[in-house]
Amino acid sequence: MFVFRNNTVERFFPKDYTFSGYDDISLVPSDADGYVWFYQAPLAFDTFSASEQVRAYSDKLDYVMQCIDPGKTVVALTMEPLYSVPFTDDDHLLREAVEEYNHNLFLLSDTNPNLKVIDLSEFTSAYPGEELIDWKFYFLSQMGLNPRLSKPFQEWWRRKLDSIALRRKKCLVLDLDNTLWGGVLGEDGIDGIKLSGDYPGKAFHFFQEAILSLSKSGVILAVCSKNNEADVLEAWEKNPFMVLRKEHFSAMRINWNDKASNLKELASELNIGLDSFVFVDDNPTERELIRQMLPMVSVPDFPIQPYDLPQFFSKMVEDYFRVYTVTEEDRKKTEQYKANAARSQAQSSFSDFSSFLRSLDMHLKIERADQFNIPRIAQMTQKTNQFNLTTRRYTDADVRSFIEKGWKIWCLSVADRFGDSGITGTVFVDGNRIDTLLLSCRILGKGIEGAFLKSVLYSLRDEGVKEVHAEYIPTAKNSQVKDFYDKQGFTFVGGEPDGARTYSLSLAGADLTVEDCYHVSAE
Amino acid sequence: MEDQILQILKSVIGVDDIDSSVSQDNCEQWDSMAQLNLVVELEMEFDITLEPEEISEMRTFSDVVRVVKAKKAQ
Repeated sequence: MFVFRNNTVERFFPKDYTFSGYDDISLVPSDADGYVWFYQAPLAFDTFSASEQVRAYSDKLDYVMQCIDPGKTVVALTMEPLYSVPFTDDDHLLREAVEEYNHNLFLLSDTNPNLKVIDLSEFTSAYPGEELIDWKFYFLSQMGLNPRLSKPFQEWWRRKLDSIALRRKKCLVLDLDNTLWGGVLGEDGIDGIKLSGDYPGKAFHFFQEAILSLSKSGVILAVCSKNNEADVLEAWEKNPFMVLRKEHFSAMRINWNDKASNLKELASELNIGLDSFVFVDDNPTERELIRQMLPMVSVPDFPIQPYDLPQFFSKMVEDYFRVYTVTEEDRKKTEQYKANAARSQAQSSFSDFSSFLRSLDMHLKIERADQFNIPRIAQMTQKTNQFNLTTRRYTDADVRSFIEKGWKIWCLSVADRFGDSGITGTVFVDGNRIDTLLLSCRILGKGIEGAFLKSVLYSLRDEGVKEVHAEYIPTAKNSQVKDFYDKQGFTFVGGEPDGARTYSLSLAGADLTVEDCYHVSAE
Repeated sequence: MEDQILQILKSVIGVDDIDSSVSQDNCEQWDSMAQLNLVVELEMEFDITLEPEEISEMRTFSDVVRVVKAKKAQ
C-alpha cells in the first residue's frame, strides 16, 4: 500500500507500506497494490487559513482519485481536529471545514466504489485529547499522532482492512442459560428465567435485541445448550419477552452431549468451517473445553455481570463481525442457511428418499420469459457452470432476439416448505431443438431437473412438436450432466471425439407424467 | 541494560548484525525515522521521558546507554 500523508505516520502502518512526501501528490505510483489517504487537520491558529488548507486537501484527493486505477482500493481516513484553540466560542471555521472534508469523502466514495472511507474517530475517541498528540514528537518529527499509540493503531488498522475485505466470522453459537437469559430454565421454569422487567432481566433482553440485529446483517445464529430441547422450545413459544426465538436460529444442538462434538455437528450441518465460528457461553469450563478441543473456534470471555453485556457485545462485533458493507445476499443468509440445514436434517430423518421428497412440499413454477425475468435468465446463462448442458452464454439482448425469432424460453422457480429459492433454472427451445438447459446448483439433489424437463416437453407436445433434439457439450465443469439425457429416456444419436453427444426423443409415446411429489404450475 | 538497548536498536533499525560500536555514522539505516522509533521504544521500555537535547546527543550506541542510564539514575 502507498500512503498519501501530510504528517509523519510511518510508525502507524506495516513495514512494507511506502509513503508520499509530506502533502505531496505529484507522484502517484501505478505499481502500488492499494492506496491510503491519511491527511490530518493542520495545527494552526489562523482558523481561516487552516480551513482553506483543509478544502485544498479535498481537491487534492479528487485529483488523486482520477489518477488511480479504479480497480485498486483506496482507503481514506476521516479527519479529526486534534488541536485547535479558537479564541472565541463562535469561531467554527475549522470545525466546519473538517466536517465538509469528511462529508466530501463520503460523497466521493459514492461515485468511486474503490474508495473506502474509515472513521478515524473510532480510534481516537478511545483516548483523551492530551494523549492523542505528543508535542515533543510533533516538533521533533512532525508526528500528528502520539507515536506511543502506534501499536493499538496498527491493530485497529488491521481490523479495518479485514472489514473492507469483508472478512468476518460467519456464525455465532450461543449458549442459553445465563447467556441469553438469567437463571436456569430447567430449575427456574419458563416464567422464572430473567428476561424482562427489572435488572438483570433488562440486560439480557437488551443482549437478545442486540444479537437479533446482528443476525439481520448476515451473521448466522446457532444454539448449543445443555437443556431439554422440549423445555427450550416451550420457552421460546410461551415466554412473551423472548426476542430470539426458534426461527432466528439456523441450527441448534440442545442436548446433553459435549459441546465440542455439538459444534462439529453444527459446522457440518451448516456447511461452515469451524474457523468461522464464535462461541459464546457463560460457563468458563465450556469455553475452556472448546478452546482446547477446537482451537480454530473464537471464544471470547463472557462477562460475569449482566450489566457488562452491552460492552461485551460491542467488543465482540468489533473483533469478529464488523464489515465495511452488507449486501442483500448477506441479509438473506440466515434464511438460506436455515433452509439448507433444515433440508439436510429432514433428509436424515427419512429412511426412503421419495418420502423425503414428498415431505418437502415442492412447488415448481414454470413461466415464459418476459421483461421481468429476462435479466435473471441471461445472468444464469452467464454464471451457471455445473448443471448446464451446453454452457452457451447469452446477454439480455440475445434472449430478446431469440424470442422475436420464435424461440420458446421458460424459466423455473422453486419453493419448498423451507423457503423460496427464486428463479433457478431455464430452458431455451428453438423449434424442436433444446438449445440451452440449466439449473442452479442450490436446487439440485431433489429430482427437480427431471420434473422440469418433463413439464417443458409436455408443453411442447401440446403445441404440436413431434420429436425433440438435444445435445450435451462437455466443459471442464459440467461432467455431472453428461448422462442426463440418457437418464431421461432420450435416444443417443451420436457422439463427437471431444465428448459432445446428440440425442432425440419422440414425444408421441413418451411418458411425460411428473411424480406427484412435485407440484407444477406451468404457463 | 546494554543488552536490552542493543535489542531495541536492532529492531528499530531493522539490522541484526550490529554490536556496541554502532553509530549513526557507520550505519545508514540509523536514520531520523529510526531515531524517532528508538526514542519512543526507549521511553516506553524504561518508563522515561527523553528531552530533545538528549535525543540529539544520542548518535552512537554508547551515547544512548549513557543518556538512558543517567535518566534512570535521576
